[in-house]
Amino acid sequence: MAEPQTSTDRSATLLSAQNLEVSYGATQVLWGVTFSVARGKITCIIGANGAGKTTALNTVAGVLRAKRGQLLLNGDDITAISTRGRVKRHISLVPEGRQLWPGMSVEENLLMGCFLPQFRQRSQAGLARVYELFPRLKERRHQMAGTLSGGEQQMCAIGRGLMAEPQLLMLDEPSLGLAPKLVDEIFEFIVNIAQQGVTILLVGQNVNYTLQISHYGYVMETGRITLEGPTEMLMNNEFVRHAYLGVAEGPQTKEPQTKEPL
Amino acid sequence: MDAVEYLDLLLKALLLAGVYAAMAVGMTVIYGVMKIVNLAHAGFLMLGAYFALEMFQRFHIDPILGAVMALPVFFLFGMLVHWILVRWLPKSDTPTLASLLLMFGFLLVLQNVGYLLWGTEDQSILTPLTLSSVQIGEISIAKVKLVVFVAAVVCMIVLQIVLHRSWFGRSMRALIQNPYAAKIVGVDDQRTARLTFGLGTAFAGFAGALLGMLYSFSPDFGRPFLLRSFVIIVLGGLESVSGVALGAIVLAVLETFSTAIPLPWYWHKWSFYYLPPSYQPVVPFALLVLVLVIMPKGLAGLFNRKWKAA
Repeated sequence: MAEPQTSTDRSATLLSAQNLEVSYGATQVLWGVTFSVARGKITCIIGANGAGKTTALNTVAGVLRAKRGQLLLNGDDITAISTRGRVKRHISLVPEGRQLWPGMSVEENLLMGCFLPQFRQRSQAGLARVYELFPRLKERRHQMAGTLSGGEQQMCAIGRGLMAEPQLLMLDEPSLGLAPKLVDEIFEFIVNIAQQGVTILLVGQNVNYTLQISHYGYVMETGRITLEGPTEMLMNNEFVRHAYLGVAEGPQTKEPQTKEPL
Repeated sequence: MDAVEYLDLLLKALLLAGVYAAMAVGMTVIYGVMKIVNLAHAGFLMLGAYFALEMFQRFHIDPILGAVMALPVFFLFGMLVHWILVRWLPKSDTPTLASLLLMFGFLLVLQNVGYLLWGTEDQSILTPLTLSSVQIGEISIAKVKLVVFVAAVVCMIVLQIVLHRSWFGRSMRALIQNPYAAKIVGVDDQRTARLTFGLGTAFAGFAGALLGMLYSFSPDFGRPFLLRSFVIIVLGGLESVSGVALGAIVLAVLETFSTAIPLPWYWHKWSFYYLPPSYQPVVPFALLVLVLVIMPKGLAGLFNRKWKAA
C-alpha cells in the first residue's frame, strides 16, 4: 500500500516525535512525549484511559497542535504543517470511535479517504484494494455507514484510512466495543496490512493483543512515556504484567484493561 | 367548496412549495456546514429580486433567465461576504450570538443599501408571462407560477446532484455529518465554508428573483420569507435537502389551506368559521411555535437526526 521500501538510504525511522507538549486550553495533556515509529513495523502505545494516547495520535495527525516539541517524518520537520498537508504526506488516522459519516454510503465514506485532489485519480484502484481486503464492505457498499454493525464500521474506517495509500497508518483503539470474535478478525487485518508494507502506529485498549502483534511498544501514563521497549520485553515486564495484563498478584490498576489473562 | 377547488388549492400549494424549498435550502446548507443562522438571507432574497428587476428593465432579460444569471453572480458575492466578514467568526458547533448579531447587522446594511438604491416604493416584475394562465379543465394556473416551480425544482435537483456526485458536495456533507472526520481526511473547512456560503447565497439570490416574479417587493421584501425559510428548515431537519423539500410542502399546504378549511368554532353553539386571509401570515409563526414546543430542544433536538441528512 505504501511505496515499496526499496531505497536503502532511508533511515529505519519513519516518524519521530520529540518532547511533544500538548494542551487543551489550560490543561496540559502531554508532558514531553518522545517516541519513534520504525518503518514497516507495528509500533504501539498502551496505557490507561486518559493517559494521552489519543492526544498523541491526534497531534501526529495535525488535528491538535503541539505547543512545544517536534515531529519528524522521514527526517523532515512536519510540526507546523496542517492536517491536510500531513494527509498529503500519506499519514492516515483511523480515529477512536470510527468517526464515519453515518448518512453517507460505505463507498462514499471510503472515497472521502482520498479526498485530496492528488489522490482522486487513484480512487478506483483504492476502492478495489479495500474491497479485496474487506469483501464484506463490497457487499454493503451502497448501504449507509450508520446502519453497519460495529465491526463493519471499523472495517470501513480502516478502509478509509487505507484509501490515501498511507505510509503511516495510525489506528486508535480499533477493537473498542467489538465482540471478541471480531476483535480477532480486526487484529488479523492489521497484521495483514502491516505485511503489505504499511507502517502502523497502534493504540490499543486490548493490551494483550496489541502487544502480541506489535514489534515495539511504549507505555504511557498521565501524559508521559514511562516505559518502552520491544514487545517481548514489555510482555515480560513485571509492571506491565501487573498493570495492563492483569497477571499475578500485586498492586492492581485503577482500570484493568483486559479481561483475558495472558 | 367542491373537490375541484380543493384540487386547485393543492396544486397551487405544491407550486408554492417549489419556490419555498429553493428559498430555504440556501439557509440550510449554510447552517449545516457552519452552524450559522444566516439572517442576512432575507437581504440576499431582496437583492435577488432587484437583480432580476434591473436585468429586466435595463437589458430586457427575461426574469427567469435573470434568476439563472443570479446564481453565479450571487455565488461570487456570497464568497466575498464570507471572505470579508463571516470567516472571522469564532468556530463553533452551535450557533453563536456573535454569528447571529453579525448576520442581523449585515441584513440591516443590505436593507438600507436597498432603500438607498431603489427607494421605498413597491416594485414588481411584469412580463407577458405574468399575466397569462393555463387552463386545465376547470383549474386555471398562472403560467408564471408553473415556470417558477419548474425552475426551482430543476435547481434543487442540480443541488442534490452536486451534493452527491461532486467532491465539493461530498466535502460539504462530510462537514455537516462529522467535521472531525472531514478534517482528518484533509477537507479544508475554511475553503468548503467559503464555497458553501457562496452556494447558499446563490440560492438566495435565485429564489429571490423567483419570488420577485410572484410578488411585488420593496427593500424590506425578504423578511416574511426569512421567517418562512426558518420554519421550513426547522420542520425539515436543519441539515437535509430532502427535509427542506418536505418542510416546504408542509408549510405551503398549511398556508394555502388555512383560509379554505372551515374551522370548528364554539360560540354559544358549534359553527364553522373560515380564517380571514389577513390572518394567513399567522400560520408560519404558529407552526414555528408548535414545532418548538413539541421538540423542546428546538434546533438542538434536531441534531440527533442529522445522520438521516442529505
